[in-house]
Amino acid sequence: MAVEEAASGAAHHGGGLAIDPMHQFRVETIFPIHIGGFDVSFTNASLWMVIVAVAISLLTIAGMGKRSMVPSRMQSVAELSYEFVATMLRDNVGDAGKRFFPFVFTLFMFVLFCNMGGMMPYSFTVTSHIIVTFALAFFIFLGVTIIGFIVHGFRFFQFFVPKGVPIVLLPLLVVIEVISYLTRPISLSVRLFANMMAGHTMLKVFAGFVIAMGWLGGFLPLAFMVAFTGLEILVAFLQAYVFAILTCIYLNDALHMH
Amino acid sequence: MGIAFRLSTELVAGIFLGGGIGLLLDRWLGTEPLFLLIFFFLGMAAGILNVFKTAKQLAAQAEADAKEQSGK
Repeated sequence: MAVEEAASGAAHHGGGLAIDPMHQFRVETIFPIHIGGFDVSFTNASLWMVIVAVAISLLTIAGMGKRSMVPSRMQSVAELSYEFVATMLRDNVGDAGKRFFPFVFTLFMFVLFCNMGGMMPYSFTVTSHIIVTFALAFFIFLGVTIIGFIVHGFRFFQFFVPKGVPIVLLPLLVVIEVISYLTRPISLSVRLFANMMAGHTMLKVFAGFVIAMGWLGGFLPLAFMVAFTGLEILVAFLQAYVFAILTCIYLNDALHMH
Repeated sequence: MGIAFRLSTELVAGIFLGGGIGLLLDRWLGTEPLFLLIFFFLGMAAGILNVFKTAKQLAAQAEADAKEQSGK
């Protein structure tokens, strides 16, 4: 009885004081805009996407503005990111992938800056929302499929027919291959979203522990948080890389159909 | 950790997509658990196929990296 009371008291007490770890993911409207019954308001998610787009443009345009032989720091970063994506595309797609460089570069930089922007205090992590990552992944999937059909025509259907399979098993395997192909946008988007959301929630939960445990016990979760923030920065980069490299692999499948 | 997470999402995505397709077909044709069951298992198979493909591709990548290292 007493325990129950204490628990409910704590819960009640916690309602006002405790940190809600999911609060950071709330989409808040900044300018309400309604067009034809659709809510297209400018939200904090839109704001952060604009910030990310501006930051990338600044980095690439201002960074490459001087084009000096001995690059400044900003030029180095811009050149490094160019090189990084170009190498990734060359290794995974080959020379045919050069045409898709602008697309992959934009995608990689957008996801990377969204993830990294989310590491700043008080910011909003756009990529921690499944709808954002799914929209990205779905259009990649759609685009890659269309490219496959443009390059190979109806022969692209051969992609779903595994070689050297007895004719009895073929219908079953084709269905499985098609389902496996259709899971691409799902696994691509869920991976990015889940990583970002899990990491940020964990950070906030541990931040809550720091406050709850006070001056004496709070240093332990604080130390963990510092380490975990480092890990999160790694994850932010790694997930952007995985997202871009999988796009390359899908492009390669569509172009070369092995 | 990255690799483990990648493999597990592949598997889960297959199962979810299979279940989803089955559920929609059932709702459309009114054959309640039939297609859900069929596509659930097909989705599982697709998920395992995905995991297998990803693992193969990761192994090839690791091999290429190792070759590059020894070549230098």
